[in-house]
Amino acid sequence: MPELLTPATVYILAAILLPFVPKGIFRQLVPVLVPFAGVAVFWTLQSGTFSSFNLMGLHIGLMRIDDLSRIFGLIFSIAACLAAIYAWHVRDTIQQVAGLLYAGSAIGAVFAADLITLFVFWEGTAIASVFLIWARRTEGAYATGMRYLIVQIGSGVILMAGVVLLYRETGTVAFSQMELGSLATWMIFIAFGIKCAFPLLHNWLQDAYPAATVTGTVILSAFTTKLAVYALARGFPGTEILIYIGAVMTLFPIFYAVIENDLRRVLAYSLNNQLGFMVVGVGIGTPLALNGTAAHAFCHILYKALLFMSVGAVLFRTGTAKGSELGGLYKTMPWTMAFCVVGAASISAFPLFSGFISKSLILSASADEGHFIVWLILLFASAGVFHHSGIKIPYFAFFAHDSGKRPKEAPRHMLIAMGVTAALCIGIGVYPAPLYELLPYDVGYEPYTTSHVVTQLQLLFFSALAFTVLMKTRVYPPELRSTNLDSDWIYRRMLPAMVAGLRHVITGTWRFASRVTTTRVDRFIATIYRAHGPQGPLARTWPTGSMVLWMAVLLGMTLVLAYI
Amino acid sequence: MTGSHSPRAEDPARFPWLSRHLLWTSDPSKVNRLVWALVILCAGLTLADFFYHKHSHFEIEQVPGFYGFYGFIMCAALVIAAKGLRVLLKRDEDYYAPYTVESEEHPEADLGRENIDA
Repeated sequence: MPELLTPATVYILAAILLPFVPKGIFRQLVPVLVPFAGVAVFWTLQSGTFSSFNLMGLHIGLMRIDDLSRIFGLIFSIAACLAAIYAWHVRDTIQQVAGLLYAGSAIGAVFAADLITLFVFWEGTAIASVFLIWARRTEGAYATGMRYLIVQIGSGVILMAGVVLLYRETGTVAFSQMELGSLATWMIFIAFGIKCAFPLLHNWLQDAYPAATVTGTVILSAFTTKLAVYALARGFPGTEILIYIGAVMTLFPIFYAVIENDLRRVLAYSLNNQLGFMVVGVGIGTPLALNGTAAHAFCHILYKALLFMSVGAVLFRTGTAKGSELGGLYKTMPWTMAFCVVGAASISAFPLFSGFISKSLILSASADEGHFIVWLILLFASAGVFHHSGIKIPYFAFFAHDSGKRPKEAPRHMLIAMGVTAALCIGIGVYPAPLYELLPYDVGYEPYTTSHVVTQLQLLFFSALAFTVLMKTRVYPPELRSTNLDSDWIYRRMLPAMVAGLRHVITGTWRFASRVTTTRVDRFIATIYRAHGPQGPLARTWPTGSMVLWMAVLLGMTLVLAYI
Repeated sequence: MTGSHSPRAEDPARFPWLSRHLLWTSDPSKVNRLVWALVILCAGLTLADFFYHKHSHFEIEQVPGFYGFYGFIMCAALVIAAKGLRVLLKRDEDYYAPYTVESEEHPEADLGRENIDA
């Protein structure tokens, strides 16, 4: 019996047992407490690979502990716990089980020492998470979930194909650093890229996350994409192409975020933009940059969850998360507003908030390596993210024009979850040393220098000024109920239209061909009929012919009768 | 923007205390004062550039107020470009209906709607 202990085992066991726990406080406690048990499994272990065994000649390692997997394992556990507190009111067993399996799979994948284990948990995250979308139980959510599932499973299938090819090439399935070059590594790279929402492979994220339940979106925001960032940091650090992919990722989502109406989708776009920073960090690949990626993933999971929680609380109380329908909610939901502002300040990297101490590592690393254009893009993206996540979200939800909505403050458990998350965001920003301790490399970095604080404040306050000027001059585009076309248009409209067009052409051709054939055959028959039919020239001999026939019949009959 | 502001009189004293302290944000003259404060803050931050040694990687960073002006210009450009994109990309909410959640109401079972009577 092989040793199967990994934090994921704890989550999976809890998920299996949860439906048998009597409904009530005990069942609600399970998802909150399981992350603690999960952390207990790996926290005290020294670096190394545990729970390894041979399976059909493949060397499987379920739990590889090192600095990189430890920090991702920790933040995933924290996120799972906070999301469970936020979802305290949810009595839907399906969502509870799906949440546990999803978090467990993500953590299991982080600790995977080989690509087979990675693949199993990779698909686990896909299958478990789709139930958080389907839990909305509407036709639109069903269709969206299907699209999400197809993309996610597709990523897994490509990963598997890459792993098989890699095994044929190298004879090992160990999950370690790879070089882009062969078909195998490219396939693995693309599989990671789909889950990481690379440009043009990204749209499943903005499509699916706003379609989940109030609590489901909070859970979704934490795991899938950051698992992909981890996988890239493990498999492809220092791969140059990632710098440019990441830079594009930071850039284009902010344009969409400005015009998007659904605030949860705005957050999904800004999530995509933040992933870009992490991908740039992986691409640069220096110890400082990789530290930046790990630190930024850590902080990002917290503030992004906080933002999704606060917008989720608004949705929970008002039934909508659309900017065009909201406004003035600070009057009755002040605490939700305050926590939202903390999340907004953190994602915008205000000094004393978490984003400041993590994003600057990546920016410094890009400047250190002399990537001027990339650095300019990242700076622009930093200003842009402040613009749409830092100002737009709190402003349109809680201030702007008064929508007349007077929702009650978010329920207590949501406030607790948001409060703890907000406290972590501020705590990390004010006192980053413990987080820096956890980072994979030993690099001295001081975020609070005069230059850095002043320049960052300049960037942010001038961006705020730009927002104010544009609002005052009414240049700023108003929030409108709308759908904005993105790359999902390709597979939701263009490809179906092409298939429909092709079908049209084929049916048209078929109809034409059959019509031509039918006319020809008809004409042929008509010609014969004209010649041989009753009126035809060749039918003139008929009366003689038939008389002969009847004579023959008559004579025959006579012959037969004569013999009887 | 169409505000469906309820005509009936509200008693701000019944708002939560944190909200009562923020009611000034609904007063345009006070918001204007805030805007001027922001302008002064920006000016101050630009001037601050002359009073410390800026640690930098690129030459352009040495331009006083570079970060501020870059942020301002790029943000304005961002919004104007995005507004332009809207012309190309904007469709009705039910463009993908019924295979989208965009055109649906959020199901009540997932919500906990409650209003307060102020």
